[in-house]
Amino acid sequence: MADATRETLQSRNGHLDDGSPETSHHTRTDSKRDEKGYYGVPPIKAAHWTWQIPIYFWIGGIAAGVQLFTTLANVLGHEDKALTRVGRYTSLVAMILSPILLIWDLGRPERFYNMMRVWKLRSPMSNQSWSLVIYGNLSGLLAARQAAEDGLLGRNFLSRLLIQLIPAKVLSILALPVALFVGSNTGTLLSATSVPMWARNWALMAPTFLASGVSTALSYLSLVLHLGRWGEEKTHTVLRRAERATILVEAVLVAASLVRMGRWGKPLFSKEIAPLFVGGTLIGGIAAPLALLSGKETRNKSILTSVLVLLGGLAFRFAMVLGGRISANDPEAYFSFASGENAPQPEDKV
Amino acid sequence: MDLVALAEDVREQLPGGAELDALGRWTFMSDVCKHCVEAPCQQACPTGAIIRNEFDNVYIQPDICNGCGYCVPACPYGVITQVPEDGRVFKCTLCYDRQRDGMEPACAKACPTNSIMFGEVEELKKVAEERVSTLRAKGYTQAYVYGTPEVGGTGGIGGNHSKFILLDEPETYNLARHPFLPQAKVKGSFITSAIAAGVLSAVVALAFRD
Repeated sequence: MADATRETLQSRNGHLDDGSPETSHHTRTDSKRDEKGYYGVPPIKAAHWTWQIPIYFWIGGIAAGVQLFTTLANVLGHEDKALTRVGRYTSLVAMILSPILLIWDLGRPERFYNMMRVWKLRSPMSNQSWSLVIYGNLSGLLAARQAAEDGLLGRNFLSRLLIQLIPAKVLSILALPVALFVGSNTGTLLSATSVPMWARNWALMAPTFLASGVSTALSYLSLVLHLGRWGEEKTHTVLRRAERATILVEAVLVAASLVRMGRWGKPLFSKEIAPLFVGGTLIGGIAAPLALLSGKETRNKSILTSVLVLLGGLAFRFAMVLGGRISANDPEAYFSFASGENAPQPEDKV
Repeated sequence: MDLVALAEDVREQLPGGAELDALGRWTFMSDVCKHCVEAPCQQACPTGAIIRNEFDNVYIQPDICNGCGYCVPACPYGVITQVPEDGRVFKCTLCYDRQRDGMEPACAKACPTNSIMFGEVEELKKVAEERVSTLRAKGYTQAYVYGTPEVGGTGGIGGNHSKFILLDEPETYNLARHPFLPQAKVKGSFITSAIAAGVLSAVVALAFRD
């Protein structure tokens, strides 16, 4: 190479570690060449999802758990008017907030109705949209009847008609599977992607999200009933017992998920996510509430427990979504995951 | 590699013992949509904006996409991109407009060495296989076709309609060795969700005992 050419190249492109000019040959002497992949450029792209999505996951989980608890109370003959009221209004508010958050996150929010063009059972995003439509309508009907019973619509003919025409028990039983689907599908939505951390855990992602949804919902109910000084004694006892049991189920599922994720779960313990996941979820949202629930019950302690579980559930969803971004941006994680038997294969058994 | 020696099909020892590869190597690949046989982005799309068009290409209908972005993490090749200023997602359309007018895609038309070829998938497959045998006969034993069900199309994707002749490991080209179809596990996730829903219902119901 002529000296003039070499000088031009050096001034334009800088130098490699050994002082030779950098060209597009990328020979073995190029220190960056030896790592697997293409100069660290992520081979897959991360989802753009912003804060609305983890908040929706949290709210959807709470709606699912609230529906589960109130329907079971209804079916098992535990009549507590305050519990029913809180449950129905909560579902309605959750089903108003959820679509708002999801539409907000769209690149073209004004086209949200295109979600209703088709229903694709293999697209968790499609299933999610439709389940929100169905559960939203059912919770709307139930909340309308509650409003009529509470006299919010006035003591008139319309209120009496709503109370007579809306079969509350049948609707709550119909709403239960849809609500549970909304809660679990938040996990399916993440696992059905090419992101190693999410896809690796396909079997346990949805159960973990649902368990966390139920535990946050029970804590939410307990918190609201305590703050309003509503609800029967028995409701509080049952809530406390159920909270303890579901947090245990959640702890087992989170632990199993971490085992299943293995090396691809590393982002959860990264510098950015560890405070959320270890501090917020594992310690704040699971360990501390379990310790608090085992002692003697006081109102303040219950309120503290509920707040911890709710924040822990929120931290869990942020950790999962943000961890997935780190996982998608890590070429090594994707290449090792998609190099052989690690990635989910069609012939795998459930 | 010594491109002149390669082009002239030089097999004998080069002067001064120089190797054909002595100038280092260039690894070329056009980073386009692979048009998976079972496309994960298409299965992920909740609006039905991503379709297989009449030319059997994976195509995003820009008038339907509402920018939910779910196809982006679904794509096993990192091809689909959401454009923040626009909101929608975009990828190579394989020049759908040109194909409708009976023309080949612009990249294939413009490529002066015919490295990018366009045609019927089955014919291109044969061309690729022949080219690989030629390369191997010339001593490039590492050459292979990427995007077949064996390499680059396993895990339910069933191969790619866009095939590539590679001279190194797929990872060197930023390609996964065995990309997978994420939606293959949606049914499994439904089943585990149903089991979890049953267990959690039972656990909460038990709490109601006196």
